[in-house]
Amino acid sequence: MIAARNSKDAPISLVGRHDLRQKGKMFHRRNSRTMRDRRRDVPRKAASALFFRLLAPRLVFATCLGAALLSSTTHARAEEPVLQTEQSDIAKLPPAGPHRILVMDADYPHAKDGRVYVVDTDAGKLLGMVQAAYNGNMVQAPDGRFFSVAETVWSRGNRGDRADLLATYDPSTLTISNDEVLPGRALVTPKANDLAISADGGRIYVYDMIPSNAVHVVSTATHMIETNVDIPGCALIYPWGPAGFSSLCADGGLSNVSLSAGGAPKVTHTPSFFAPDRDPVFENSPSVATDGSALFIAYSGLVYPAKLGANSTIGTPFSIQEAAGMKRASDASAPFETTWRPGGWQLAAYHKATGRLYVLMHKGTFWTHKEPGTEVWEIDVAARKLVRRISLPAPSAMIGVTQDASPLLFTTNDTGDFFILDAATGKLRRKMDRLGTSLVFTLAPGQ
Amino acid sequence: MRSDRRPAAADAPLMDRLAEKALRALAGRASRRGVIARIGAGIVAAPALPLLPAARAHGPSAQPTAAKKTTNEGARTPFAAQAQVSDDTKCDYWRYCAIDGNLCSTCGGGVHTCPPGTAPSPTSWIGTCFNPHDRRSYIVAYRDCCGQDACNQVSCLNTDGDQPSYRPQANNDIIWCFGTTSLVYNCSTAAIVGSAS
Repeated sequence: MIAARNSKDAPISLVGRHDLRQKGKMFHRRNSRTMRDRRRDVPRKAASALFFRLLAPRLVFATCLGAALLSSTTHARAEEPVLQTEQSDIAKLPPAGPHRILVMDADYPHAKDGRVYVVDTDAGKLLGMVQAAYNGNMVQAPDGRFFSVAETVWSRGNRGDRADLLATYDPSTLTISNDEVLPGRALVTPKANDLAISADGGRIYVYDMIPSNAVHVVSTATHMIETNVDIPGCALIYPWGPAGFSSLCADGGLSNVSLSAGGAPKVTHTPSFFAPDRDPVFENSPSVATDGSALFIAYSGLVYPAKLGANSTIGTPFSIQEAAGMKRASDASAPFETTWRPGGWQLAAYHKATGRLYVLMHKGTFWTHKEPGTEVWEIDVAARKLVRRISLPAPSAMIGVTQDASPLLFTTNDTGDFFILDAATGKLRRKMDRLGTSLVFTLAPGQ
Repeated sequence: MRSDRRPAAADAPLMDRLAEKALRALAGRASRRGVIARIGAGIVAAPALPLLPAARAHGPSAQPTAAKKTTNEGARTPFAAQAQVSDDTKCDYWRYCAIDGNLCSTCGGGVHTCPPGTAPSPTSWIGTCFNPHDRRSYIVAYRDCCGQDACNQVSCLNTDGDQPSYRPQANNDIIWCFGTTSLVYNCSTAAIVGSAS
């Protein structure tokens, strides 16, 4: 039937189409032909005759030969064994290297769908992901044994009973090893310092705002709340050592909390060292839990080096702009001054071993402190000198760095692409298109 | 191109050949008188044409530009200097000086009205915004509307006076849905709650 229908229909339809096409071509050519084209017609005709006389028979022969070969190949394939049936399984990740990181996607347009990506930044490959609903946050054990995600859900989606959760994951299987209900957590666009882990991984600190500012201390051994510490007038967590943290306060000072097993927390306060009205320090300033060092970066670009502890001390500040040989930038008292300023969301990253601070910088006035950076400025903190300015492939509100001897830098853009740069050269190594939606910060091993 | 060189030489550099071709084509079409007439017309029309962005900024259809930043007399912040008073569905509307999030005015609500299906929070963060129309500053309460997922029509991130969350009353990152039945964020309003002048 098929052959008959083909033989009957084909000549009519094909010829018809062929004619139409030819007419179209002829019409076009007739109108576009030049004298030069016409002169070229003579050799064209000769070539055409040559083709039919010499080449056409050879072409027919080659086509037949090809068809015969194809037929024999098909025959050979038929003799191969059929593919075996398969069992569905689950991938397991090998132990993490220094360049396997976690990336927090706050998914601003649909915050209930936030997630954490596990990314191999050498290969530029997504290895897996876990949920981090509604302004989630993450920490990981210093030895990489686990990572934990704080998230918030409601029993009926956008309503019903609220549950604040702390899910702990096995980093090789991405399965939950413990799923704990928290007394609460602050619902804020994810800031790294809303959730923290002690230097030995024994305690997770959860910042809360209801009914008042407090930190819930969770034991990672027992998965129980160890204590709740009120921090009136203060916020966030900058952990130091195995049993302590500091918080930034509304008066421009620090609150320092020392924990002791079974005893009441001891709290001290530092005098005010910055002016929150005129030049506040960024919440996303980097700190190191193991030695208690912190670098509080002010909106103007002043950096306050601090040594956090039971009685935190603040060093003499230095200006990022002055470290780059420029004039110190204005604070809120002269807001119209346009100059290079720090800004973004996770605007800074610190490489502990080399003491290099990476800061997102943009050109703008005061009060542009959330504007994405067009450059990264690498600062040698000990020398208080600019080492390098790295021009970014796209303005980024986030920067991250790995902690190994060959560090990688991470940035994003406003469409959720993920950029991987070589920190030694500042060159772009890889770009992961649309890794997520709103990439807000990264977490590398040993960070 | 040097004058002693043969202009149409096949071995001339590509750029030379292209330039010569273009010039010859132009010469073939344009008369010397025509060229002089056009230059003359340009000189006469020059005062009417905007030569600098500053000239455009005074026009009625001017967009917010760098040059317009100095147009709002009495403004004390960069945002206030370029703010407008006529369209509350745009991020540069004067009351939105410290807003962060979706404008309720584009989500079915208004500048101080929550969209249907959402609930206003009794709590808020506060901004102090300059109104270029009456040149007064006002205290603005940014009250979030809550209960439905993010509206995502017009999203803004303005940061005049925005402080970190250790100054929560001036922080626009916090989900200001305290006191509502669900803390799911939909959009933000900007209600005047007092004069700051």
